[in-house]
Amino acid sequence: MSETPNSMMSTPSGRTPGRTPRPGEVPVPGQPKAMVYICGECHQENEIRARDPIRCRECGCRIMYKKRTKRMVVFDAR
Amino acid sequence: MESMVCNNRRLSISFVSASVDKPKVDEGVRNCRTIEIYPSECRQRGVTYQAKLQATITYSLDGVKQGTVTRSIGSIPIMVKSVSCNLHGLSPKQLIEKQEEAEEMGGYFIINGNEKVIRMLVMQRRNYPVAIVRGTWKKRGPHYSEFGISIRSMTKDQTTASMVLHYLNNGTVMVCIYHRKEMFYLPVVLLIKALVPLSDREIYAELIRTMEDDTYFTGCMQNLLRQARGYKLASQKDFLRFLGEKFRVKLNRAEWYTDIEIARFLLKHKVLIHLEANEDKFRLICFMVRKVFSLAMGKCMPDNADSVQNQEVLLPGHLIQMVLKEKMQLWLLTLSRLITKKFATTSSTSSYRNPLNLMEVQNCMSRVSDVSQGMSYLLATGNLVSSTGLGLMQFSGLAIIADKLNFLRYVSHFRCVHRGAFFAQMRTTEVRKLLPESSGFLCPVHTPDGSPCGLMNHMSYLCEVVTHPFSVDHFPALLYKLGMLPPNSKDVRGAEQFYPVLFDGLLVGWFPVNEAAAVANRLRLKKVRGEDTVPENLEVCLLEYTGKATQYPGLYLLSQEARMVRPVVNLTTGTVEMIGTFEQVYMDICIIPEEAHDQTTHQELTQHSTLSAVASMTPFSDFNQSPRNMYQCQMGKQTMGTPCQALAYRADHKLYRVQTPQASLVRPHMYDYYKMDNYPTGTNAVIAVISYTGYDMEDAMILNKGSLERGFAHSSVYHTELIDLSKKVGDRSVNVVFGVNHKDARTEKLTVGEDGLPSIGQRLVDGDDYYSYVNTDTGEMSIVKFKSLETAFVECVRVLSDSAGKGRFNRVSILLRVNRNPIIGDKFASRHGQKGVCSQMWPMESIPFTDGGMYPDILFNPHGFPSRMTIGMMIESMAGKSAALQGHVYDATPFTFTEDQPAVEHFGELLRKAGFNFHGTETLYSGVSGLQLEAEIFIGIVYYQRLRHMVSDKFQVRTTGPVDQITQQPIKGRKRAGGIRLGEMERDALLAQGCIMLLHDRLLTNSDYSQAYICEKCGSLLSPVLLSSALSSTHNRYSKKYWFCTSCKTGDHMCLVDIPFVYRYLVNELAAMNIKTILSVK
Repeated sequence: MSETPNSMMSTPSGRTPGRTPRPGEVPVPGQPKAMVYICGECHQENEIRARDPIRCRECGCRIMYKKRTKRMVVFDAR
Repeated sequence: MESMVCNNRRLSISFVSASVDKPKVDEGVRNCRTIEIYPSECRQRGVTYQAKLQATITYSLDGVKQGTVTRSIGSIPIMVKSVSCNLHGLSPKQLIEKQEEAEEMGGYFIINGNEKVIRMLVMQRRNYPVAIVRGTWKKRGPHYSEFGISIRSMTKDQTTASMVLHYLNNGTVMVCIYHRKEMFYLPVVLLIKALVPLSDREIYAELIRTMEDDTYFTGCMQNLLRQARGYKLASQKDFLRFLGEKFRVKLNRAEWYTDIEIARFLLKHKVLIHLEANEDKFRLICFMVRKVFSLAMGKCMPDNADSVQNQEVLLPGHLIQMVLKEKMQLWLLTLSRLITKKFATTSSTSSYRNPLNLMEVQNCMSRVSDVSQGMSYLLATGNLVSSTGLGLMQFSGLAIIADKLNFLRYVSHFRCVHRGAFFAQMRTTEVRKLLPESSGFLCPVHTPDGSPCGLMNHMSYLCEVVTHPFSVDHFPALLYKLGMLPPNSKDVRGAEQFYPVLFDGLLVGWFPVNEAAAVANRLRLKKVRGEDTVPENLEVCLLEYTGKATQYPGLYLLSQEARMVRPVVNLTTGTVEMIGTFEQVYMDICIIPEEAHDQTTHQELTQHSTLSAVASMTPFSDFNQSPRNMYQCQMGKQTMGTPCQALAYRADHKLYRVQTPQASLVRPHMYDYYKMDNYPTGTNAVIAVISYTGYDMEDAMILNKGSLERGFAHSSVYHTELIDLSKKVGDRSVNVVFGVNHKDARTEKLTVGEDGLPSIGQRLVDGDDYYSYVNTDTGEMSIVKFKSLETAFVECVRVLSDSAGKGRFNRVSILLRVNRNPIIGDKFASRHGQKGVCSQMWPMESIPFTDGGMYPDILFNPHGFPSRMTIGMMIESMAGKSAALQGHVYDATPFTFTEDQPAVEHFGELLRKAGFNFHGTETLYSGVSGLQLEAEIFIGIVYYQRLRHMVSDKFQVRTTGPVDQITQQPIKGRKRAGGIRLGEMERDALLAQGCIMLLHDRLLTNSDYSQAYICEKCGSLLSPVLLSSALSSTHNRYSKKYWFCTSCKTGDHMCLVDIPFVYRYLVNELAAMNIKTILSVK
């Protein structure tokens, strides 16, 4: 991370980057958190934990897309 | 289909029926909305698009039916958009909903996520006796001559059995039949006698039909029949018994079959299998005997096996069918063996129990390995494992990946016809020659140069291959109505009085010579008009008696599948008629109406109908020197363009994409026919033909930096990586999932997301964190770093499940995007085989400009024209310029301009009307000095393509880097940051120049330079060892180390020398072989 000066910015709070904060959610340190994935067929957002089977809860689609990060992505235009 | 015996009980098992399901999820999977599986999912998940094969199997014991089982015997790959595909019959809108292209064409298979195409191969025409002269046949035995008639007979289910009739110099005929890749020779009379229960006199009459006057032939035939007497066999049954006895071992039939039954099996499955009745087989053999004698006597010419006239195409479906049939036979065989085994074990213990109860049979069935693997293996590797050989000449390279680089490359995979790998090794050029017969069927332009030249051809754009056979059962009756005499008619006799009628390899009858031409014409008319349900693809070819040695005369009617056909206009009816390769040779087809004369019957649909899809994309190709058009066919297929429209749903290993493609301003008719605007491949660039600053010599070209900055030829490479953790770990029992472990100290610094995967939009450079995974049992976290020479951006991350929807979080595909905007060294080409490399990107202010203020995008060196003679490119430049001025798109179809209406005049006039110079030249001003250039410069608009060969993929540079473990020399290979070898020839060049120090520098100092001690006394490189004095080693940490010769027991004669490290290795190896090396040091 530190070697690439213009890659991702980490969140100010110092939390591990990459997750999408959800309202009212209190992150439990040390616990695997659920990530949100978009279904490839019905575009429904699904929360999937590491031990869950990969499948859309809505339509059963077997391909899930990772959501685009909400964190600021800054590249140097050099 | 197969039968076995045990305990003297006859077991027979056979397939009653088999059907292919549609691709679906496994039964019992309830967690999804739709049970169908669509191709898009298979591509993204990297699995095979396949469907279950349901078969009904019946089994009987001693002829008593025991039971019937219907079950799946495996999955077979399904061709996309075929009848069994879930996309079959969907509208463009529905296709888009299923994540496909709007105009998805199908025709390929999806194996492990790759799109695989079965290559079309050229085969000998089925069911047609081909006269061949082959010198090597003489070696087959005593009296054998080079003359023979070969026939590749095929049944409706695409089973092949070849046969060759050899003419022997003693006037007899031998038949060669094939069984399991082995050849068997037998006298033709033996076969005839076994086929039909006719008397010698009747056989003789049939043999000599129409050749009664040929005394040599009749003599030979009498001799032949006399020869049969030598076997001392009388009736047909005797001959059958004789044959069956000889073939019993080789045919491997169950032992309760009698010799006669085995012989009948042989005749049914190995001899002229396209015919069912033995009488028909007999008559065709007689026909072939007459043909081989005509050939040997020089009365007819040999057929050219390299001409499309005697060829057909191996279609993917037919190959699949043949392979599937064989795999199913194998399945039955394995099953019957299993049951027999079971039978043997159970019957010995209890004689009452019937082992053939349903349960036990099903138990056996589930133990037989299913047909899925063999089928997908063929498509995945292109290799065919077959015991019979399926009548093919090659067993590898049958399937290739349909590369989606651009539309032209993609489409040419499906239009490609290969002559066969066997011919690639042949040293003669005979098979590669372009023959006039292939006109309109195979493109004369679109073949690669180099080793596959002439072997890999592409079909002309109008050419089709007949895929479905027509119902022709009514055909013989129709022919009788037209006056055909039956095949056994007593009236048919006398030379050149009757034409034999060969209908799909069946001698159906005879037509009198005076009626035949009229009949052929009537048949053709019926075919064109569709009367009497004469198939539209029927080939009607009357080979007339001319008094000279020609192809063997007769009326040939061909209706079967796998033939190449093409449409032409029938001038009699004015409608389109499909003609085949056999009949075309004897037809008079004009290209334009003015050419027609009284013999002319047909006209080409278009003047460029002989060109392939790719060749017809070259604008004004009739103005170019012909090899340039061939080069363009190659380069068009290497162009970066728009690979597909469903880009978001694809997971191809590598995709190239141009970000700013344009519709071509100057386009041939076929550009619109193929809707190339949906998949554009280039940019309309302003080209100035000027030699400027010398950076444009030798096909280099200067790009305008201003254009580049505005997006000219901007491209990116999409690279998909499929990461399967279970495969990566290798151990199935270890449970790993993507993710991070917060207890691990490294997690704090990780740049991957909470799920252990990179974020979308993230930039990745070499050494960045790529992904991390956690062992769910131990909690151990592993981090994988990103390894690449280039910076990439994460475009998309897909998490993949299994087909049951229960997959764990351990299989993902990551789509990475690499920017590839033009840099110096990238390759560009116009559409005229004019390729060039970008050598400079001049700033816009240094580029010469016109008085109108136009700046060229590309400076093209004028020396590129005189030797290449690509006049088409010059005309395109003028046409493009006027098109841009008028706001039109101009037609560039070849053969539209004539000597009377030259293209230059036409476009010059258009330019003049727009206020420009007639010849397309303009006054230019130097960008550097601002002075007017003395010469008028030819400037216009040419469609330029960016080729996929880029320096970023090719550059190789090394200062220091990894070295080989053993030799200490720099390693090779671009991927491993290796060096480029300075080989023998380079060494010779340096030696010849006397650059000794340079050579020393290259081969030693910059390679494996090392220093070593040598004992001068014994001259050994190996004996000196480094020792520490015993005293110091115990007391003193600052011990003195010294070199010591272990063989001389002294350290006094040590000498430090420079040696290449590999020399030390050599000395070691020699020592291992008991060879001592002594060095004398001076």
